[in-house]
Amino acid sequence: MKKEFLNGYEVVTRACIDAGANFMYGYPITPSSEVLSDWINKSQKNKNLNYLQTEDEIAAGFAVCGSIVAGKKTFTTTSGPGTILMQDSLSMAEGMRLPFVAIIAQRGGPSSGTVIYSQQEVNLAIHGGNGEGLRIVYSPSNLKELYRFIRYAFNAAWKYRFPTIVLTDGYLLKTKQNIELFSKYKNEKTKSLFLENKQKNIRNIYTIEEELMEKILKDKKDFDEMAREITEVELYKTDDAKQIIIAHGLVSAVAKEAIDILRNKGIKIGLFKPSTLSPFPKKELNSLLNKNIKKVFIIESSLGQLKNLVKQNLENKINIDVLQKPAVGIEVQEIINKITK
Amino acid sequence: MNILLAGDGGQGIQTMAYVISQVIFDDKKFNISLIPNYGLEQRGGVSMVFLKIDKKEINYPKFSKADLLCTLSKQARERTEEYKDKNTIIIDAQDFEKELLENKINKISLNMFFLGILVSKFEKLSFLKSDKVLKKLEIKLKNKNNWEENKKTFKLGLKK
Amino acid sequence: MKIKSSFCPGCGQVMILQSLYKVLQDNKLEDKAVLGLDIGCSLLAWNFLPINTFQTHHGRVVATMVGYKRAKTDSVSIAYTGDGGAYAIGLQSLLWSAKRNEAVIVIVVNNSIYAMTGGQTAPTTMKNQKTATSPQGYNEESFLGPELIKSLNKKAYITRSACNDIKDLKKVFNKAIKNQAKGNFSLIEVLSFCPTNWKTKGKETIDYLENMKKTFPIGEVK
Repeated sequence: MKKEFLNGYEVVTRACIDAGANFMYGYPITPSSEVLSDWINKSQKNKNLNYLQTEDEIAAGFAVCGSIVAGKKTFTTTSGPGTILMQDSLSMAEGMRLPFVAIIAQRGGPSSGTVIYSQQEVNLAIHGGNGEGLRIVYSPSNLKELYRFIRYAFNAAWKYRFPTIVLTDGYLLKTKQNIELFSKYKNEKTKSLFLENKQKNIRNIYTIEEELMEKILKDKKDFDEMAREITEVELYKTDDAKQIIIAHGLVSAVAKEAIDILRNKGIKIGLFKPSTLSPFPKKELNSLLNKNIKKVFIIESSLGQLKNLVKQNLENKINIDVLQKPAVGIEVQEIINKITK
Repeated sequence: MNILLAGDGGQGIQTMAYVISQVIFDDKKFNISLIPNYGLEQRGGVSMVFLKIDKKEINYPKFSKADLLCTLSKQARERTEEYKDKNTIIIDAQDFEKELLENKINKISLNMFFLGILVSKFEKLSFLKSDKVLKKLEIKLKNKNNWEENKKTFKLGLKK
Repeated sequence: MKIKSSFCPGCGQVMILQSLYKVLQDNKLEDKAVLGLDIGCSLLAWNFLPINTFQTHHGRVVATMVGYKRAKTDSVSIAYTGDGGAYAIGLQSLLWSAKRNEAVIVIVVNNSIYAMTGGQTAPTTMKNQKTATSPQGYNEESFLGPELIKSLNKKAYITRSACNDIKDLKKVFNKAIKNQAKGNFSLIEVLSFCPTNWKTKGKETIDYLENMKKTFPIGEVK
């Protein structure tokens, strides 16, 4: 594997290109704008890459849907207020089972918040639509995972046809690091929803309530079957742990460093890192926590969006403590202080 | 090593970080990560870069305390107070006022002087070689109209 | 074709869509055509014609068909919407598609009311017209979409027709298809019957539409 020195947004465009994406629609918003300009830059030499900067995120999302219906791997990126506008098209993709891929770079919220970082768009990523949240959401903790999860995202989206989000943040997109990218993943084939010699009429609105319910139940069944195949989780030093940290994205990378230091001090602590927030690794969570874990620390740059997700999936009561810094990065020492307090 | 560079937006902090990190990456002897932090304003705010150089793999690009802090303006100094502890090596433009005046160093080339100082330190720590930095600088800046001045100022900093 | 449609009796869409289909057949383009639908009464067209169709969201059909056409360049991409989806919530996208000269055909069915939601004021509601949300009579001037759009794009084919002039409908649809093949934007606004919300019967409906022509001139906007 080649050693490269890459920015997060370069890793994003590289992963999308390697995944076979041909179309990107987007609207500039910090901190995801560089993905759009990098893709456009690369498209000057690579004529397989098409793009359009649209008039707003709403148009971007719907153009994504249009190109997908026509059979092309298409994606968009956005953040914060843009993620809100993207819900209109994401919701249509949910209802019409379109393989909509979005790389969302979380920033501080609500409203314009900050332009750089948070873990506050977890709710939006999963449940931002007016449906049941049948979306796949990956949360990468470093550049390698950012690349890998985007490759997974395109495959999962096109195989199972649920909107798929890679939920990152402005810090990771701006990080530049030496990296070796393993890139030899197979790509899922695409196909157009329409064939020229066969008529198809696709709807997203129903006259009879029961018709819609039936469809939702069928989609849920598909989702649950898919969950078995694509749920991703990482268990770090949990074998003999008495306490567990639960964290995702960048915070989980910091947690690993803290755990290494705590382990050196003799504290038996490990990390449960959900790499897919949806479908959530519920089985793995409960099987771990049932192993005589005394305490769980849920650590996030939000006021409890991860905690709520964890509690939704917890089968038994357990002692939970939290370290919550909405919109602010969390450092190694803060985690150590919290655990050893 | 955790290195924090900070200055006013437009002073060239990002360029300093770019050159240092690119050279260290090219050598392939250390792991290097960098993450910029520069708020909203296009001009006038504080521009910062967190740099990590490590033999071990780097998990997370930020840190709470810097081993080395280099600040080029009063604003930057104030903004980075929280990243100092008793062990932090501080390189602050204020402390070099006399030599900057003596050598008639232009405000525009200020970052080159401090880049020289940093590179000299990093060379002593075997992180990089200064001639490679100069080469990289030349590629990046030779088409700008004050390249000769920049080069001179960088070499001055190296001698410190 | 079987009329298992859910359109109201007397709805102008039946004539519009049948004319469109006839023109597609004449040009042997039924297989290449894809009809995108807005959410409003236009959604009812989703299973009316034997061609590929899909619903989108209210005000979003033009943006979607732009994406479709860009990905399948040999398609006849048609965005079919009402006056609300075109000139209110979807106006942003409509303006931009015209400005960019996207090669899509936009058909705007203008019945000067938000019909499916129960008769509220629409962009093309006429001065003094009474609606569910302008009970005293609308006190603004009507929205003239084609005239506005034309100012953004000289190459676009922009015109207005009426649902009961089948001959003219076929003419304008033909022109639009040829215009799209040349890579240009087309907008066809069609004045359309809505007896349910106009509360008209028989000849009254036709008279109502004739009266609309005083506000919305028929013919190409040059």
